[in-house]
This record gives sequence, C-alpha cells and structure tokens, in this order.
Amino acid sequence: MDNFSNLMDGFAIAFSMFHLALMAAGVLLGILVGVLPGLGAPNGVSLLLPLTFTMDPVSAIILLTSMYWGALFGGSTTSILFNIPGEPSSVATTFDGYPMAQQGHATHALTLAFMSAGTGAMFGVVVITVLSGWVTEFALKFSSPEYFAVFLLTFASFIGMGSGSAFKAIVSMMLGFAFATVGMDGISGNMRLTFGFPELVKGISFLVAVIGLFGLGELLQTMEEGLRFDGIHARIRIRDVLKAVASMPGHWLTLLRSAIIGCWMGITPGGPTAASFMSYGLAKRFSRRKEHFGKGEPAGVVAPETADHSAGTCAILPMLALGVPGSATAAVMMGGLMIWGLTPGPMLFIERPDFVWGTIASMYLGNVMAVVLVLATVPMFAAILRIPFSIIGPMIVVVCFIGAYSISGSRLDLWLAVPFGILGYTFKKLGYPIAPMVLAMVLGDKAEDALRQSMIMSKGSLGIFWTNSTLSATIMALAMLLLFWPGVSLIIKRLRKPAVAATA
Amino acid sequence: MRTPSGTLLSRFTMEVVTALVTGLLGAIVCYGSTEFGTGWGDAGPEPGYFPFYVGLITILASLFNLAMAFKHHRDRVEEFLTGEQARRVLAFFGPMVLFVLVASYLGIYVGMILYLVGAMVFQGGYRLPKAAAVGVITAIANYFLFEVWFQVPLLKGPLEPLIGIH
Repeated sequence: MDNFSNLMDGFAIAFSMFHLALMAAGVLLGILVGVLPGLGAPNGVSLLLPLTFTMDPVSAIILLTSMYWGALFGGSTTSILFNIPGEPSSVATTFDGYPMAQQGHATHALTLAFMSAGTGAMFGVVVITVLSGWVTEFALKFSSPEYFAVFLLTFASFIGMGSGSAFKAIVSMMLGFAFATVGMDGISGNMRLTFGFPELVKGISFLVAVIGLFGLGELLQTMEEGLRFDGIHARIRIRDVLKAVASMPGHWLTLLRSAIIGCWMGITPGGPTAASFMSYGLAKRFSRRKEHFGKGEPAGVVAPETADHSAGTCAILPMLALGVPGSATAAVMMGGLMIWGLTPGPMLFIERPDFVWGTIASMYLGNVMAVVLVLATVPMFAAILRIPFSIIGPMIVVVCFIGAYSISGSRLDLWLAVPFGILGYTFKKLGYPIAPMVLAMVLGDKAEDALRQSMIMSKGSLGIFWTNSTLSATIMALAMLLLFWPGVSLIIKRLRKPAVAATA
Repeated sequence: MRTPSGTLLSRFTMEVVTALVTGLLGAIVCYGSTEFGTGWGDAGPEPGYFPFYVGLITILASLFNLAMAFKHHRDRVEEFLTGEQARRVLAFFGPMVLFVLVASYLGIYVGMILYLVGAMVFQGGYRLPKAAAVGVITAIANYFLFEVWFQVPLLKGPLEPLIGIH
C-alpha cells in the first residue's frame, strides 16, 4: 500500500508540537466563528487566510482545515442549543436537535452530534486516503481540454443539481466569472474591465467577495429577524456523554448511509448543505420511527451531522487532486493554496507529497482533537451568545472589515465588501445561490486559461472537448447530463407516471 | 398587484430590480470586453473573448429571471421586506457604513472604537464609560493580535502617530 506509507510520512510531518498547537487554535477559532451568527466556515477561513501568508504552507493548511472542522462543530452547537443554525449545513440538525435539548437531553444531543460528525469526518478522511492515489493517476492524463471539461462538470453540477432556479445559479456564476476577469489578463497582459480605475488593476479578490457575501450578507439577514437567543443551558455531564457514546453503535446503519451520501456529495460538488438535508430525508424515510422525526429523534441528529462532516471532509479531495473544490469553503482554501504558491492539481501530489500527506494526516488528528475540544468547551461558547448583540454584532462587523483590509492592505477592499454584502443579502432572500459565484471567482482564471489554450490547440473549434480524448468526451457528456438534469429528470418523471412521493 | 399591510418592498419588485441589475452588470461586462477585441486574434482568442460571452450569458439568464418574476411573483402577495424589518436592517447597516467611512479616513482602530462605543451607547443603552472601556480594550487587543503577533499592519489614520504608533 503506497498510500499507507505516504500517510505515515504525513503523520510524521503533522505530529509536532507546533502543528498540534495550531490545530487546537484552529479548532477553537473555528468553533467561535461557527457559533457566532454571520460568521461561518467560508468566512472564517477567508478572515484567517491573510494571517497565513507568511507561514509555511503545511502549517497554514493545518490551521485552515482545523478551523473548518471547528466551524462545522460550532454550527451544530448553536443548532441544538439555540435553534439557530450557525452554518447553512447544520439547518437539518435543528429539526431534531433542538427538540431533544428542549426535552432536557441537550448533552445527549450534543454528544451524538459531535460523535457522528467525528465518525462522518473519519469516514471521509479514509475515503480521501484510499482514493487520492488513484485520482492523481487519473488526473495526470489531463491536458487543457480535459481540465476545461472538469471545470465545466463542476459548474454544470452546481447549476443542474442546485435546489433553486437554474437560471439564478447561472447569473450568480457568470457574475463570479466576470469579477474574476477584472484586472490584468494573465495571457495578454491587458487591463480588463478596470474602466480606468487604477485600484482595480490587481483585480477583485474572492476573499472580499466571500466576506461580503457570506459575512455581511448573513449578518443583515440575521438582523432583519431581530435577534433573540432562546438558549438552553447546557451542562455537560460525563455520565450523559458516556451514555450517548454507548448508544452510537445502535445507529450504525444511519451512520453508514449518511457517510456514503456525504462522501458522494462532497466529491461531486453537491456540498455539505445538500448532503445533510438528503441524509435527513433518507433517514426519515427508512426509519421505523418516522413519526418521531422532528420531535427529538436521535437518528435525526446523527444523520445530518454525519453527512455534513463527511461531505465537508471529502470536498478537500477534488480540491487537492483536481483543483476543483467541492464546497465554498474548499474553494476559499484552494484560493489560499494558490496564494501560498502551490498549484492544486495532480502535480501537487508529485511535487509536494509532504504537503498533501501532511494535510491528510492532520485531518485525522484534527478531527479527533475537534471532538474532544468541542465537548470540553461547549458551555463556554454557549455563554458567548449571551453577550448582548449590541456588543457582539459590531465586533463581528469589525472583524469582517479587518479581514477585508488585511487581504492586500487596500482601502478599496473596505468599500468593496459593502456592495458584496448587499448583494449577498438580496441574493439569499431571492433564492440566488451564492456558492457558484465564489467558485467561479476562484476558478475563473484557470477555467478561462484552459478554455483559451484548448481553443488555441484546436484553432477555434469547440469540437476539441469531444474529440481530444475519450476522457474529455466522457466528462463533457457527464457535464451536459448534469447541466440539463432538471429537464432530463422532468422527462423521466413524466415517463414513470406514478410519481414517487417527495421526501420531506 | 396587492401587497400585505406593512410591506415596504414586495418580492416581485425586488425580483425585477435584481434581474435588471444583474442584466445591467452583464451589459457593462460586454461593453468593457469589447475594448480588447472579442474575436480571434493572432495568438488565439482575444482577451475580450471570455468576458464577452460571460456578459452575454448573464444578460440572457437575467432576462429569463425577469420573465420568471412576472410569471411567478406578479400576482402573489409576497413580501421582501416589512417596515419593521427595514428599520432593523438599516439600524445595523447605517452604522456599518459610517464605520467604513470613518475607518477609511481615520484608520481602522479609530473607526473601531467610535463604532463600538456608538453602537453600545445608542443601540445597547450602555453608559459611556463602560462603552468606552470596551471600545478601547477591543482596539488594543486587536493591535496586539494583528500588528504585534501576526505582523499584519492595519489601516492607520492621522491620529495614531500622535501616540507614537506607526
């Protein structure tokens, strides 16, 4: 097993006092951003990214991934204790988590959530470990047309598999591409779409967009409802924790099913949010205690948490191996990789095995650490939400703008974050998905280069994506299928008249 | 078109406005990309090629969204924002913009202190000494976190040099 020895090398890299301290710091910061309204995983990672510019890439990615785990855990905590999902992906956890807490089983619900999240993440890391060697071999056959086909597949899956309007997803994505083209053109050196503003020459950073879209936009939306935290006091009793841990094996089927759903949705860019809802729906459908769902059914906590975390973890694999991130947070991290001077993609596995395997190994360690830390610190973080919002709200705003400024020390970025905030708020309320825009901003340049280089190869014929190799043709066919999936599925439904009742 | 009482903005209006704005952005992108040519040059596709089509697709998809807004939201009583919600959002958004304004002239630290103190006194009903203490402590904590520990300089204005910080 080549992967296994690589993994052992990775552990040797990840297992140092400095890295363990970084993991702990990352996890704690992550829980904090996960718990605070308006700050989530994509945002937290964007805010932290400028601080890693001077770090060694391995340390930097360990800090960021640990923050990601922490944020996922923090999101579940507020879902259960306050009925406020700290992350969109933990919305499904509120369905049964909050009722459980109301009935006095807060510790049980939290422990179940953390344990299943940990299990899901572990499953995801194992899948990554096993698959990464194979994916790389596969990806080494890639040239420009294949790369563009993979990018197209990613974008098509966001459009076709999204829950809302496909055309709203297209608008969101195209605007992302447009923002990505602002500034100097990497191939010709021309200044594009700057309209004479010298500040725009360096382009619009996707980090500013993420901070505005996710952070400020979400804060505005939170404010609109008027903030009320009807929190449930959580006292973590060791006995309850152990009891919940002991009940875990009984959920093995839910765990396994949810982990598989999560891995699938994480590797194909369905994302953790879709994964958690789907997993909850399926758990309810196959359960013998259907009527208990929504009223505090433990399996209703286990299912979305497992899928959420395994999807979040698996989203790292396509990012490292293909340079195609599976979630908004992974997209931000990939942007980080490029800033640190690494090129995500198959060559990364060959040129920087220490980085890749150090990262994967740190994912094992980071997740174990996250479960322990989150259990130990839940009461403390729950207390933060009892600080009046007139103090915590402005502090979150300040942190967001500090993050925006520190990306490149530009005053313009402070101002750019504001319209992105308005855009994020409006888009969210009208059902425009935001993740495609972030993805397009991160991948825009690479996708454009791949397209233009393919065009040069083929002297301007779009047929090259079909004729270059069977691989690119297959990926293109898949992309087309996904792109037109809403239409295709409609036809299938028409053909099979007795429609299956939709899962809730 | 009917609107429920208390609605400031209907969903329909907002759908239409958003579709028009995104369409306009698409048009700006198309216009901007014509500057360097959108066709085939000596070295392959010209620089405007990709953004031009991106802009074009944006316009088309926006038009479709506009049509869908008329189809789905025109006669439905849906609100985007009630007066009460608008008040809450503005009470948050206004001070935020003021903070950015102050921060871009006087620096982030000064902006931060004024913003925190203002929000605590006027919105939280705290007394000035307590608010000032929280504001100053936050600024000092941020100073140590960013300038000293992570060595990331934040935007400073004309006031910091007066107390010897550059």
